[in-house]
Amino acid sequence: MPRNAMLEVKGGDITGTVRGFLEKLLEKKAVDALLVPVEVPSKKNVVQTMVTDIAQLADVSPLAPVMPVNTAKIISSVTKVAASTKKVGVILRSCELRALVEMVKLKQADMNNIVTIGIDCFGTYSVTDYAVFSQEHDTPAGEYLKKAASGTDTLLRPACKICQYPYPLTADMTIGLFGLPIEKEILVHSGTKEGDQVFEALGLDGEADPAKRDEALSALKSERQKLKEEFLAQVQQEAGGLDNMLSVLSACVACHNCRIACPICYCRECLLDSPTFVEWEAEKYLDWASRKGALRLPADSLLFHLVRMNHMGASCVACGLCEDACPNSIAVYKLFCLAGSRVQETFEYTPGRSADDELPLTAFKEEEFKGFEK
Amino acid sequence: MNSKDKPDSALVIGAGIAGIKAALELAELGHRVYLCDRKTHIGGTLLQLDRWFPDDHCGMCKVLPIFSRDRSSQYCLRRGLVHHNIEILSATEITGVEGEAGNFAVSTATRSSGIHPDLCIGCGKCSEVCPVEVDEEFNQGLGKRKAAYLANPTALAKTYTIDAQHCTRCRACEEVCPTKAINLDMQTSENTLSVGAIILSTGFDEFDAQAASQYGYKRFPNVITSLELERLLSGSGPTRGSLLRPSDDKEPQSVAFLQCVGSRSLERNYCSSACCMYALKEAIMIKEKYPGTDVCIYFMDLRTAGKGYYRYFEKARDELGIRFVRCRVPRVMQNFKTHDVIFSALGEDGQPIQQQCDLIVLSVGQTPSAQFVQVSEMLGLQRNRWEFCRTRAFSSVESLRDGIFVCGSAAAPKDIADTLTEASAAAGNASLLLAAPGDMQGDDQQSGEQAEDMKAAVFICTCGEEITRALDTKELVSFSGQLAGVIHAGEVSHLCLPETLAQVQTKIRDMGATHVIAAGCSALTGQKLFGNLPLEIVNIREGLAWVHQDNRSAATRKARKLISMALARLRYARPSRTVQSSIVSAKGLVIGGGASGLSAALRIAEHGHQVELVERSGEVGGKLRSIHSTLEGEDSRALLDDLLKRVSENPLITVHTETVVEHISGHAGAFYAKLQGSDSEPYELDAGAVVIATGADEGTTTQYLYGQNERIITQTELEERLAAGQMDPQQLNSLVMIQCVGSMEAERPYCSRVCCAQALKNALQLKERNPDIQIYILYRELMSYGFMEEYYTRAREQGIVFIRYEPDKKPVVEAAEEKLSVSVNDPVLGGAFSLSPDLLVLSTGVVPADNSVLAGMLDIDVTEDGFFKEAEVKFRPVDVIKDGIFVCGLAHSPRNIQEALVQAQAAAERASLILSRGSLVSGQSVSEVNETWCSGCELCVQACPYGARVKDADKGVALVVEALCQGCGACVSACPNKAAKLRQFTDRQILAALDEAL
Amino acid sequence: MADDNKDFEPILVGFFCNWCTSTAADLAGTTRLQYPPNIRPIRTMCSGSVDPIYILRALLSGADGIIIGGCNPGDCHYVSGNYKARRRIAGLKTILDTLGLENDRVWLKWISAAEGQKFAVTMRDFTEKIKELGPSPFRKNWSV
Repeated sequence: MPRNAMLEVKGGDITGTVRGFLEKLLEKKAVDALLVPVEVPSKKNVVQTMVTDIAQLADVSPLAPVMPVNTAKIISSVTKVAASTKKVGVILRSCELRALVEMVKLKQADMNNIVTIGIDCFGTYSVTDYAVFSQEHDTPAGEYLKKAASGTDTLLRPACKICQYPYPLTADMTIGLFGLPIEKEILVHSGTKEGDQVFEALGLDGEADPAKRDEALSALKSERQKLKEEFLAQVQQEAGGLDNMLSVLSACVACHNCRIACPICYCRECLLDSPTFVEWEAEKYLDWASRKGALRLPADSLLFHLVRMNHMGASCVACGLCEDACPNSIAVYKLFCLAGSRVQETFEYTPGRSADDELPLTAFKEEEFKGFEK
Repeated sequence: MNSKDKPDSALVIGAGIAGIKAALELAELGHRVYLCDRKTHIGGTLLQLDRWFPDDHCGMCKVLPIFSRDRSSQYCLRRGLVHHNIEILSATEITGVEGEAGNFAVSTATRSSGIHPDLCIGCGKCSEVCPVEVDEEFNQGLGKRKAAYLANPTALAKTYTIDAQHCTRCRACEEVCPTKAINLDMQTSENTLSVGAIILSTGFDEFDAQAASQYGYKRFPNVITSLELERLLSGSGPTRGSLLRPSDDKEPQSVAFLQCVGSRSLERNYCSSACCMYALKEAIMIKEKYPGTDVCIYFMDLRTAGKGYYRYFEKARDELGIRFVRCRVPRVMQNFKTHDVIFSALGEDGQPIQQQCDLIVLSVGQTPSAQFVQVSEMLGLQRNRWEFCRTRAFSSVESLRDGIFVCGSAAAPKDIADTLTEASAAAGNASLLLAAPGDMQGDDQQSGEQAEDMKAAVFICTCGEEITRALDTKELVSFSGQLAGVIHAGEVSHLCLPETLAQVQTKIRDMGATHVIAAGCSALTGQKLFGNLPLEIVNIREGLAWVHQDNRSAATRKARKLISMALARLRYARPSRTVQSSIVSAKGLVIGGGASGLSAALRIAEHGHQVELVERSGEVGGKLRSIHSTLEGEDSRALLDDLLKRVSENPLITVHTETVVEHISGHAGAFYAKLQGSDSEPYELDAGAVVIATGADEGTTTQYLYGQNERIITQTELEERLAAGQMDPQQLNSLVMIQCVGSMEAERPYCSRVCCAQALKNALQLKERNPDIQIYILYRELMSYGFMEEYYTRAREQGIVFIRYEPDKKPVVEAAEEKLSVSVNDPVLGGAFSLSPDLLVLSTGVVPADNSVLAGMLDIDVTEDGFFKEAEVKFRPVDVIKDGIFVCGLAHSPRNIQEALVQAQAAAERASLILSRGSLVSGQSVSEVNETWCSGCELCVQACPYGARVKDADKGVALVVEALCQGCGACVSACPNKAAKLRQFTDRQILAALDEAL
Repeated sequence: MADDNKDFEPILVGFFCNWCTSTAADLAGTTRLQYPPNIRPIRTMCSGSVDPIYILRALLSGADGIIIGGCNPGDCHYVSGNYKARRRIAGLKTILDTLGLENDRVWLKWISAAEGQKFAVTMRDFTEKIKELGPSPFRKNWSV
C-alpha cells in the first residue's frame, strides 16, 4: 500500500524541511548513511556526498538545480565490487533513478541495502550556469524553486525542459513537490516495503492525500510529451541525413567525454578506444585514406557515436549529461535523445520503468520485427 | 569382455537420418563405424524435405556432435558428413553375413558408380552430353535427369554417378570427362567387414499409390503424393518452391489431402503414424505461402498422438483456416478437359461428399523397405505379417537375432523423433557388444606456436576449365603473388584430386609456408587439407565461376577481393592452441525410479559407469506397477520383476528411495547434487550426466460425475480391479468408456497417447472374459497408431461399439439410484441416444508432474503443457538444451511402456557418451574473455544458449566453460566492448576482411 | 538519377551464416543460377554473431549495401542466434532510419539450406535495389 505524509515547511524553507527529514533518517537509524547533494564551501557547486555524521548535513542541498554527475554512476562504483552491508539512503532525481535501474539490469550496481529517495525535479542547470547563479543569490535553491514554480526558468538545460519523467518512477520513497503549495508543505511518499519501514521508523502517518500532485503530474506529462515531440521533430530536421549529422558532429575531437559522463555507458574501456579500432599498421591507415582519397583522424568519429547509440540507445534515460560533458558543445544530447527515443519505441521499452522489464537485446520472441526482414 | 580379437567396429545399414544418428553415436563413443547405403549418397528421405512438424523447422544439423566438434563436419548435413570414426560406404549392398553377435563377418558388394569419386570434379560435363533422360528421383519424377547425374545437388562433393540401368553405353561422357573419371565397365568390388554388431536403419518405402486405383494416381496428372508435394514446395525442387500443379503449371486455388492412402486397409491394416502430421505440415506450408488457397484434409481419425501435435492441429484449423472433413470410401475422378480433380466419398453421416479441386495430395503411408526385406532374409531376421522387422518384447530396437538391431521405420512406421530416439538406443545396444574403443580422445592437440611472419602460399585451382572459363586465374595468380605476406602463388588444375593435393602438400612443406589459401570449389570445405597449418578456403567455383558466367572482368575482380579477404583473415588469426578440456565425473545421476529411470540406470551401468538413482516414493517401479498387461499381450509383470532384479543385483547402481534432489547445479561432466532422504543426512554427489525420468501422473477429473458414484471409475482403476480379481466381468451387462477426459481440451491441449490403447486392451479383455458384455467406447479420435490398428479392428469385429463425440457435444452422464445413464450424440446415426451402463470408465489421460522445481534448479525449460522440453523436438529428442541433461519417459511426454523404455535407453546412451570420456573437449573455435576489459554485465551469459558462459563472482568477470561452448558467437555480438572474442572469427579478422572487401 | 546509375556497380558485403545461407549459396552454384558479382561474402558461424558494428563499419567505409543471411526462424543451429540477430538489426535500422543514414542499404534475409534459388534471387534483388539507390553517400565522404 502506498503511503503518503505531508511535511510542514516552516518559514518557507523547503531545503530546511528536507534537511530535517534527512537528519531524522540518520537519527532514527532508518539508514546508516546518506548519499546526498551537499553544497561545497565555495557554494559554486553541489556534489554527491556520502554522509554518516548528522552534523555534516548542515549544507545538504538536494533541491539545488545542479547535477554534476549522474548519481547512478556513483552508486555503481560504490556497490559493484561488493554490495553495501549497511543501509544507505540515496537521493536521486528521476533520470538518476532510471539510470540506476538500467545499471542494475546490466549488473553494474547492487541495490542491496540501498534505499532510494526520489525527488521531484523541476530541472537542473549546467554546472557552469549554476556556478554563476549560485554566486548571484543567497539561497540559490530557494530562488530556483520560485522561478521553477513560475515556469519561466531560462537556465534549465535542454534535457530538463522536455524531460518526460520529472518525477521518480520506482523509488522506495519520494519527496513530492509538483502541484503542492511548497512554501507550506511537501509530500513524502512511500512506494515499497523499504519505504514503509522508513515511515515506521520516523513515525510518519501515511494518510495524506496526494491527489493535488497526481493532477499536476498528469497535466505536466501531456505538456512535456508535446514539447518532446516538437523537439524531436526539429532535431530530426536539423540533424537528419549524413551532411547534417556531420555538421553537428564537426567539432568532435574524439575525447569520448560524452561516454564518460553517460550513466549507461558502463564499459571499463570503450570499444572505440580498443586496439581493434586504434592499433593498426600504418599501411592500414594509408589504405583507408586511399579508399576515399583522404581520411579524417582520429578516425571513426561518426562510428563512435553510432556505436554508442546502438549500445546504450535502448537504455538512454535522456539525462543530457553527455552534452554538458562535451568540451566543444556538440548537441550530443539532441542526437542521442532522438535516436534513443525511437529505439525505445521500436522495442516498446521504457528504460528505468521497472527492474522487471527485460533489456531489449537480451530478449526475443519467435514472431516479431518481421518488418526488419527485408 | 574386451578381448583383443573382438572387433570394435559396427556396421550401420542405411544412411538415412536414422543411420547417420546411430553411426554418430557409435563414432562418438570411439567405435569405428561403417555406414553403408545402397544409394550413392547419404541422407535418405530427409534430403527431399525442407521442414518438419510440429514446429515447421529444419534442425538436421543438430544431430552433429556437441563435444569434440572438430572431429566431425560442421556444416549442414545435406552437404554430407565427415567424422573421423565413420567410413561411409555408398552404393554398397550387403551380400552375406556370417558369425554371431560380437563377431560378424559381413560381405559387401560396392557397385562402381561408373565415375571414380576421387577423380570426379563435379563439373557436370558428363551430364550435359548424356543423351538419356529419365525421371529424376530427387524430385520424385517431377523433373528429368540424365543417366549421368548428380544425385544430391546440395552435397559438398559434387560426385556424379552413372545410372547403370538406363545408361546406353554411348560413351559420350567418357570422351568429355576432363579427368577421365568415367569407366562404364562398372565393376562391383567385394569386401568383407569384421564387425561386432549390425544396425539396420533401412527406412521405409513409400506406398505405391498406383496400387490403389481408386485415387487415380498417375492416371490423373493433378493427383500427386505427399512427397511430390514436398518437392513442389521446396526451394530446391523442380519449380523452385512454387506450388504449380502438374497439368498446367498453374497455382491451385483448392487443394485436398486424402489421408490413409495405403494405410488402415485390408492389405495393410496398420497406421503409418506420421501421415496425419505431415499432411498437417504440408497443408500449413501451402496456407502460409498461399493464404487464399482452400486447403481441406479428408481423413478418418486425425492422429495427433505426439508431443505438441494437438496444438499444431489447432493452429492449422484455427489460425490458418485449414478445413478438416471426416469421410470414408474416397474416390477420385477427373474432368478430362480441365484436369480438375473431383473427390467423392461418404461423409461420417453416410451422406455423399463431393468436391472439385485443383490438386489432390495423397498422404501415402510407409511400407517396409524392399532393402530391409532382402537384408533380413540374409540375416535370418523374422518379420511380422506386414513384413516389418519383428522385435523383442518391450524393445523396438532388438531384432530376434542377437547382435542385430533396428531403428526407424524398419520395425514399424514412425516419425523422425521416434526414429532418432531408436537410433541412439540401437547404438547403445550395439556398443555393448563391441570391444572397448582404442582411441577415445583422438582430438587434435594443436600447438600454440605460430611463426612471427606470415609466409602464405596461395593455390588457385582452375578446375580444368570450370573456373578459367569465367575468370582469369593467371591474372589472379600474379595478383596474389604480389600481396604482402605471400611467398608463393600458383595455379593447379584440380586441387581436389589426391595426386594434386599430395604435390601441393609437398610444395608447402618444401617452401616452408606458414599459412595456406586454397581457392577452388566447395568440396575443399571442412577438410584438413594441410595438416594444422592455418588455412582459408576461397570458393571461386560454386561461389563465383558458376554463378557469374558472363562477366569475366567483374568475376576476376571479385576473385581478387576474395583472396585479399582470406589473406586478411589469416594475417590476423590468433595462433591455434591446445584445446581445453574439462574433467568428467564418471558417475550418472538418474532422477526417478519408474520403468524409464530403472532402465536408464541399468543401461548406464552396463556401460561400466556408476549410477545413483533417486526415487521420491518408497519403492521403485513407478507406473509400471499399475500396468498388468499390454495391448499386444506382453507380460509387463515379468518386465517389472526383471528390471527390479537386474537393478538390485547390479553393483554399480545405488538406489535412494524416499529421497528427493534438494539441490543440483553444474554442467555437463561436472554436476553437483545434494540428495535429501526422508530420515537421513543429506547426501552429496558429483555426476557427469543427469537423466530425468520423473514420470507423470494419471489425470484426475471432476467431469462425468467422477468421484460421486462408485460405478464411475478410471481406466487404470478398471485395470487394477480386473487384475486383482475385484471385478467379475460376468456380472457386467454393459459398460461405457469415455475417452479424452481432460485431454485435447482447453486445460490440456494434448493427446495423452496411451488411453486409446488402454481402453482397447481393457475392452478386449472384458470381451474375452464375457463375450456378452456390451461395450461402448465414446471417443474423439481413435489413436491406434502403428500396429495397434489391428486391435481396433478386432474390437469392432467383436462387437465393441465405437461412437465418436464432438468436444462441444460431450456425452452427458446422469446417475439415478442404481442406474447410470449416458447420453451421446452419434454423428453416424445422426441423433442422440442413451445408454444405461453398469459401469462407466473414464480415460483421464496423463498429466505432467510438477516439474517446475527440478527445472528451476537445473535452469531448463518445460513445455507449455508442463513436460520437460527437449533441445530440438525432432533431432535431439532426448537431450535437453543444457548439455549433460537428458529426459525420458513420461517426464518427456505421454508414451507407452515400450516407447518409454527405448527413450530411456536413448537417454542413457547419450549420458554414457559423456561419462565414457575422461574429459570433454571443445572445438578450436570457442569464445574467450579479455578479463581486463570485461565489465561483468552478463549480457554474454544471457546470450549464450548453452550455459557456456558464467560469471566469476570473485573476479566479477565472465568465464567460458569451453567444453560447452559451441562457437556460435552470440556472446561476441552481445558484448559491447568486445571483451568477448570468438577464436577464428575475431573482430580483427572480420574487420580486416571487411576492409579488403570494400 | 536512374540514368546516372546505369554504370554504377555497387560494392555489396554479405555476412552469411555457415549453416543455412552458405549451403544455399553453394546450391545456387551447383545449379548454375546466375547473379551479379557485386556481393562479397564473409562467412560467419551464425547470423547472431554479426555485430552491428561490422555493419556500421562497412557502411561508413563505403559499402553500398550490407546483407545478413541466416537460417529461417527456428532453424538456427545455435537455437536462437537468428532471433537475436533480428533484434539487433531492428535496433540498428531504427537508428539509421531516424538519423537519415541509409537504412535501406542494410538487409536481413533468412535463406534456408534448400533455397539456392532464393539465394540467387535475393542477390539479384539486392544488387538491383542498391543500384536504384545509387552510390552510398559515405563512399566519397572522408570526414565521417
